Amino acid sequence: MIELNELTDAAQKAFPASALSPSRDESWGLVAEMGWLMVRLPEDDGGLGLTREASTAIHFEMGRILATTPLIPAQLGLQAVLASEMLAARAGWLERIAGGDYVPLHLLPTKLEAAADGAISGTVGGVFDADMAAAAVVRLPSGYALVPIDAPGVSFVERPIWDPSRRMFDLVLDGYAPDPALMLCDAARAGPLHDALAPEAHLALAADCLGAANAALELTIEYLGMRRQFDRPLAMFQALKHRAADMKTRIAAAEALLWGRARDKDATLVQCGAAKTLAAEAFAFVTEEAIQLHGGIGLTQEHPIHRFMKRAMLNLQLCGSSVLWNERVGREALAKLD
Amino acid sequence: MTHTPDLEALRREVRDFLRAEAPANWRDASRTQDDFVATQRQWFTKLVKAGFAIPHWPARFPGGGRGLAEQKVIYEELAKADCPRLLLSFVSTYHAFATLNECASAEQQAEYLPRILEGETWCQGFSEPGAGSDLAAIKTRATREMRDGREVYVVSGQKVWSTMAQFAQKCLLLVRTSSDGPKQAGITYLLMDMDAPGVSVRPIHQIQGDEEFAEIFLDNVEIPVTRRVGEEGKGWAVAQTTLASERGLTLMELSYRMRGALARVATLIREHGHDEDRGVLRDFGELATQVDAVCAIADQFLDNRINGIERMGDASIVKNSYSRALRAYAKLGLRLGGMAEQYVAPITFGDLNTGNWMADFMNSYAWTIAGGSEEVQRNIIAERMLEMPREPKGWVI
Repeated sequence: MIELNELTDAAQKAFPASALSPSRDESWGLVAEMGWLMVRLPEDDGGLGLTREASTAIHFEMGRILATTPLIPAQLGLQAVLASEMLAARAGWLERIAGGDYVPLHLLPTKLEAAADGAISGTVGGVFDADMAAAAVVRLPSGYALVPIDAPGVSFVERPIWDPSRRMFDLVLDGYAPDPALMLCDAARAGPLHDALAPEAHLALAADCLGAANAALELTIEYLGMRRQFDRPLAMFQALKHRAADMKTRIAAAEALLWGRARDKDATLVQCGAAKTLAAEAFAFVTEEAIQLHGGIGLTQEHPIHRFMKRAMLNLQLCGSSVLWNERVGREALAKLD
Repeated sequence: MTHTPDLEALRREVRDFLRAEAPANWRDASRTQDDFVATQRQWFTKLVKAGFAIPHWPARFPGGGRGLAEQKVIYEELAKADCPRLLLSFVSTYHAFATLNECASAEQQAEYLPRILEGETWCQGFSEPGAGSDLAAIKTRATREMRDGREVYVVSGQKVWSTMAQFAQKCLLLVRTSSDGPKQAGITYLLMDMDAPGVSVRPIHQIQGDEEFAEIFLDNVEIPVTRRVGEEGKGWAVAQTTLASERGLTLMELSYRMRGALARVATLIREHGHDEDRGVLRDFGELATQVDAVCAIADQFLDNRINGIERMGDASIVKNSYSRALRAYAKLGLRLGGMAEQYVAPITFGDLNTGNWMADFMNSYAWTIAGGSEEVQRNIIAERMLEMPREPKGWVI
């Protein structure tokens, strides 16, 4: 627990709440310097060897400041490389990643086709900050592989998104010939690897949601306390207090579930998907309310509250929407309670 | 050296006891109020004998002296085994106990506490028709007089929403002894015999057919001054002890029970052939996650209490999380149950998740209204946790 508090304190010192969405490249340098790229890398591989709780605490703090630096795809990329039994130069790649090379996992589906000679064409969705990546972890038809960004037949195109705190790219493959030495696993192992990484992705996103939701609520309460109408602060009106209390309650329940699942090594994919769905829905609810409670200023770019809402709406979609996950949770609960 | 309880050993002990003694078919045996009361009394007696009824009492009582972590284990196992909750004795073992233990004289403690373990039942005479959320506004009057050579309070007024007062022998009573100064200052705390002349009780007919609460009418009831807890005019502080007597165990227990009762919704889904209805599966998945989150936050709240890091407002968040989930649970069951739930079916007394969905739906308001309404909890969260300013006082028409 002390470890977690120390991480949180360090994070809040390095990334103060007063500076939302600090510069991506400077943040990346800082994050690398603090060892956060290696948080989940075992000590034997030269990393910090910390638990899932520790990385969850970091993603929570990164959410709080609407971090622009792509720590979640980076951690998932690292974990994919770590899990690989095929990658020839695994140790070398781990070293590069720990040293600051950005190797993200893509977070949206691919549309790829392999030609008769094995050359691959199509798009890889959801590669965050591809412009600063050394390589991406991509699910190719033949299995997961590292795809160097500067390899022949590889390019990237930015897909502008509403969320101003993140940059999303498609990786475009045009007759790319996969390097057998860069394969992480074959097609048969791709499904299991995906399912091993997915719980990590869900918990990281859930933490991002709830850190940000807390910050959005704090901003809202601050605004309600400052803005005066009818000779009193808005925060004094019970109708508004009750809405703030509900926002807090939704966040708190989702947080309790998140930490429970982060600590539980045996938490299943569906359980982690459920925690992410609850967190993302809480975040969406909180930011939706936050804009309304800010009134007119909430609709201007002058005030940052809209940025939280935009991140919330994106987070809802990442790793599968609530529609998908609620159904999966329901299906599993039904089977279990039979 | 501090004593570290062996929680797993305790867990095994409770499980072994429950395997042998947990009442089977208690729901069938709780179809009428009288049967419910009989079932409750039997189960309480068994638990007292086994040493699991009053883990929070001091060690001088058999089965007492257990810390919160041990209490949690006991309640977890009772919930998992789906035993009847101790409803009839709840006010006695928590509210009356805490009040007597922390605020009463040694004589009063010696007189009343042992009798609770023998089955003497207490009720709470706090709320009044004009004093619900605003409890300090009570109007039940008590005047101090000499009658037949002894000094008594003569009490007249009306109490309402008193849980199972019709079965109680004793009452924790808040009365007004003065109307001067702030309304909290004129309140006095008394211990009343329910069979005293001038006391009459009328059960409240609830919308689902249960009679879990009663009104108490007081007409010149004489209560000896020796039955006062604390000083005259200092009853408000004693009442806070009563109200704070149970923090978290019940909600944890109820949350676990609701998670177990998700099986009832699953049964409905199958019975009505919704197994592949994606909309229904989504609703069910959303509810299951909500219930899991309530279990997680109730658990976390208790752990925080055990570790001494509870924050102001935490209890309100747990209560609102549970009560909203309970409402959602009953609402989904009612909708999935369809027309069948509109035909009157027998209710089960003393259970929130019975599978009689119309009754469960009506019962689910119990937690958004009783014990500090959802709205009062929101005020607490907003004002004490989020530090939003209180409304100015002194509003006059």
